[in-house]
Amino acid sequence: MVGLSVGEKHFIRGGIAQDLRADGRRRLQFRAISVETGVIPQANGSARVRLGATEVIASVKAELGKPSILHPDKGKVSIFVDCSPTAAPMFEGRGSEEFSAELSVALQRCLLGGKSGAGAAIDLSSLIVVDGKVCWDLYIDGLVVSSDGNLLDALAAAIKVALSDTGIPKVNVSLSAATDEEPEVDVSDEEFLQFDTSSVPVIVTLTKVGKHYIVDATSEEESQMSSAVSVSVNRHGQICGLTKRGGAGLDPSVVFDMISVAKHVGQQFISVLDSEIAAAEAAE
Amino acid sequence: MSAAATTGTYSPAAAAGEKRRERKEELRRHLAEDADWPRADGRSFHDCRPAFMQTGPTTAASGSAYAEFGKTKVIVSVFGPRESKKAMMYSDIGRLNCNVSYTTFATPIRGQFAFSFQGTDNKEYSAMLHKTLEGAVMLHTFPKTTVDVFALVLESGGSDLPIIISCASLALADAGIMMYDLVTSVSVSCFGKNIIIDPTSDEEAWQDGSLLVAYMPARKEITQLTLTGEWSDGKITNAVELCMDACSKLCDILRELLKDASSLAE
Repeated sequence: MVGLSVGEKHFIRGGIAQDLRADGRRRLQFRAISVETGVIPQANGSARVRLGATEVIASVKAELGKPSILHPDKGKVSIFVDCSPTAAPMFEGRGSEEFSAELSVALQRCLLGGKSGAGAAIDLSSLIVVDGKVCWDLYIDGLVVSSDGNLLDALAAAIKVALSDTGIPKVNVSLSAATDEEPEVDVSDEEFLQFDTSSVPVIVTLTKVGKHYIVDATSEEESQMSSAVSVSVNRHGQICGLTKRGGAGLDPSVVFDMISVAKHVGQQFISVLDSEIAAAEAAE
Repeated sequence: MSAAATTGTYSPAAAAGEKRRERKEELRRHLAEDADWPRADGRSFHDCRPAFMQTGPTTAASGSAYAEFGKTKVIVSVFGPRESKKAMMYSDIGRLNCNVSYTTFATPIRGQFAFSFQGTDNKEYSAMLHKTLEGAVMLHTFPKTTVDVFALVLESGGSDLPIIISCASLALADAGIMMYDLVTSVSVSCFGKNIIIDPTSDEEAWQDGSLLVAYMPARKEITQLTLTGEWSDGKITNAVELCMDACSKLCDILRELLKDASSLAE
């Protein structure tokens, strides 16, 4: 929890009302973002994203599994988030469980798309190896290393970067005569296939403080929020997911306004992230 | 199908899965393409299922409500306000404790939500219910105490969460907990360019996207909004307005119901 005096609270609220926040940013301005790829050698893809003092790591691991009966032509993707107590004392013990679950659910909702796969970050049918028999299970894990607000946006950005860094080993299937038998698969350790990550959305959280809303809130600013709306936006300007936090109700017109602002900011954020990814890949 | 046919052993899951999939492919195709295709239960795209709601099914609780929308059956009990647990820290506003659980026979596959999804779906719905209601309940009217809201899904037939939310707000009103307004909730599914309201579980399983709105009609405030799938701006506006309209109508029904219940009690 953030302990703030009455004066500090007024300062934060007043600054937001005047479009000049405590760290000199405007209301719709992100903090400086820094991106690093390939930070976890054991994973198929990984990334570290720093957004001001917020730092998160995302890793993507791929394992061969069996597709579910209902969707024999699709692979599986699961997203989990862990909040380490090293980041903040409130993440110790059970306190982190609820928060981690909330973040995981929000990410799943924003990145995995609808039941039919519309708007999903990853095309699940691209993960299939042998129809109904073998598919890739993708485990996406997020870790909060240091927490200074806006964790959801940082995690989504880290996942986007990690996916662009991910190489899935090429699989050679030896077709046996009997179709019922388990097919033999030979996982190559030299050839890797890259994902098409162009449709992976980013999440933009608009935090409402007083009458105005801001992007990329620090934890001090988050402590003053009445409600927050997280919108996930893809490159084509489509909305892929939306969640609301905070108890206070919102006027419908404000909600529509927030969505269109988030769409606009999201496009800018995607282009910033793209150039950061290119720079990180060049550096590697 | 081939596995079930050639081996000759009884594996209902595989066969049922195949049949279900065929049926749903057809359903999906129709819902995505035709604007006037009647839904499986004969409704048009913008019709809600017939609803039955009642207050006071459980006598031990401070307030309770039962809701039945088509196949979906939900019961919600509200206990309290009662003293917060000793371990809780002092709080000058009241606490709202929400819990959503499924019976093991709520779903076609036994215990689908109660066991295998434990830790996700129940907790997810509990958290969602809490987030939706906390903005509507006047928590400052019962400091140092807790109000428990327990929801039990007897049968899951689609649009479970919105029905739990509406039913919970009816139960809270029945318990006499002070609220700014009744919260009602409605969800829509999107299929291609079409939007259908109050989806059944079959429709939910193949939707392209979903949108849930929880709304306080008298205050004109949205307390919860979630969305999955891929949506354009205009479609979101349409869907939200459709939901808000349905929420207002549902809220009028709840109000009438509460009035009838209180006049009966006198």
